[in-house]
Amino acid sequence: MNGLEREIVGLLPRLRRFARTLARAPADADDLVQLTVERALTRRDQWRSGTRLDSWMFRIMKNAWIDEARARTRQGGLFAPAEAGERVGDDGAGAMEARLAAAEVERAMARLPDDQRLAVALVLVEGLSYQEAANVLEIPAGTLTSRLVRGRMALLADLAEARP
Amino acid sequence: MTVEERLLAYLDRELAAADRAAFEAELAIDPALAAQVERHQGLAARVAGAYAPVLDEPVPPALVAAASAANDRGRPRLGLPQWAAMAACLVVGVVAGRALWPQNGPLASQGQALIAQGGLDRALTLQLAADAGPIRVGLSFHARDGRYCRTFQSPADRLAGLACRADGRWIAETTTAWTPQDHPDYRTAASATPPAVLAAVDALIAGEAFDAPAERAARDHGWKR
Repeated sequence: MNGLEREIVGLLPRLRRFARTLARAPADADDLVQLTVERALTRRDQWRSGTRLDSWMFRIMKNAWIDEARARTRQGGLFAPAEAGERVGDDGAGAMEARLAAAEVERAMARLPDDQRLAVALVLVEGLSYQEAANVLEIPAGTLTSRLVRGRMALLADLAEARP
Repeated sequence: MTVEERLLAYLDRELAAADRAAFEAELAIDPALAAQVERHQGLAARVAGAYAPVLDEPVPPALVAAASAANDRGRPRLGLPQWAAMAACLVVGVVAGRALWPQNGPLASQGQALIAQGGLDRALTLQLAADAGPIRVGLSFHARDGRYCRTFQSPADRLAGLACRADGRWIAETTTAWTPQDHPDYRTAASATPPAVLAAVDALIAGEAFDAPAERAARDHGWKR
């Protein structure tokens, strides 16, 4: 393995996490990661060493996801519907509760339009700055902030309703 | 900037120092604003928390293989620097009695299985847990199906995992991304084994992990039962 490949291996946990915000079924999310890794290695000459590898790969994944989403609406698609992502916990009550709370968030995230979900995932889940997130999404910073606001207001409303 | 944009920029630490101070002054005298900040803070924590456990899951071996280009799919044409690397690898490969190129990662995929090769194969076959080396071997044990299994950590490959012996090869059962920076004590403790690998050990192990004499005996018998 050379340097780039090693760094990609190190990024795999974060790539899997970001993919999970897009495709909820874990197997679909991992397919998306695999596609992203393959595309990144094929286009390795486009990556400038010294720039952020995570941002570059998130951008590749975003584009792969949008391509896939288009294909899915055209032909009924490869990826399972969101509800197939539900996992049933077989462990302790505490873990079960945490998983239910997480599933609630996942459902609310899944109801957001793609553009808002991407903005929320990059900033709240991946911890990117506004500028970095705007670069990944290839949009102006002002567009990013308005998507972030709309996405977070919608999540608040959605999750507040779900509360007892 | 709208009210909400400003509030969220404050939470996300995107406000310049002066704007931040001004916002905090407003916050101190406006309980409604403070309550709103708190709601958004709670949301941010919930969203981050919902996805955080993914980081601790084992990374599927197929992804590690794709990333380490252990399979040849999508392999780009060789440029000049890579020719140099290739030449260096061939020298190492010949010395080791085996051509490492093009499958020069620590793992090669054969069908559904990921096989340890090169330095990883040698470390798993020859090294004891007490031995120093570029790759560390951690726990050795019998699996319930009778195979010998060993955990490993390779800082250079940013990889940790669990491999089991079958047909004279080490087959990776679990692999996970692993960086020594996160584990400064990895040189001294087998307990630095990542949680995902330990979970895989728990799922496979029959009885206890080997002590040093049992480990040495198994190695000296070539990992055959």
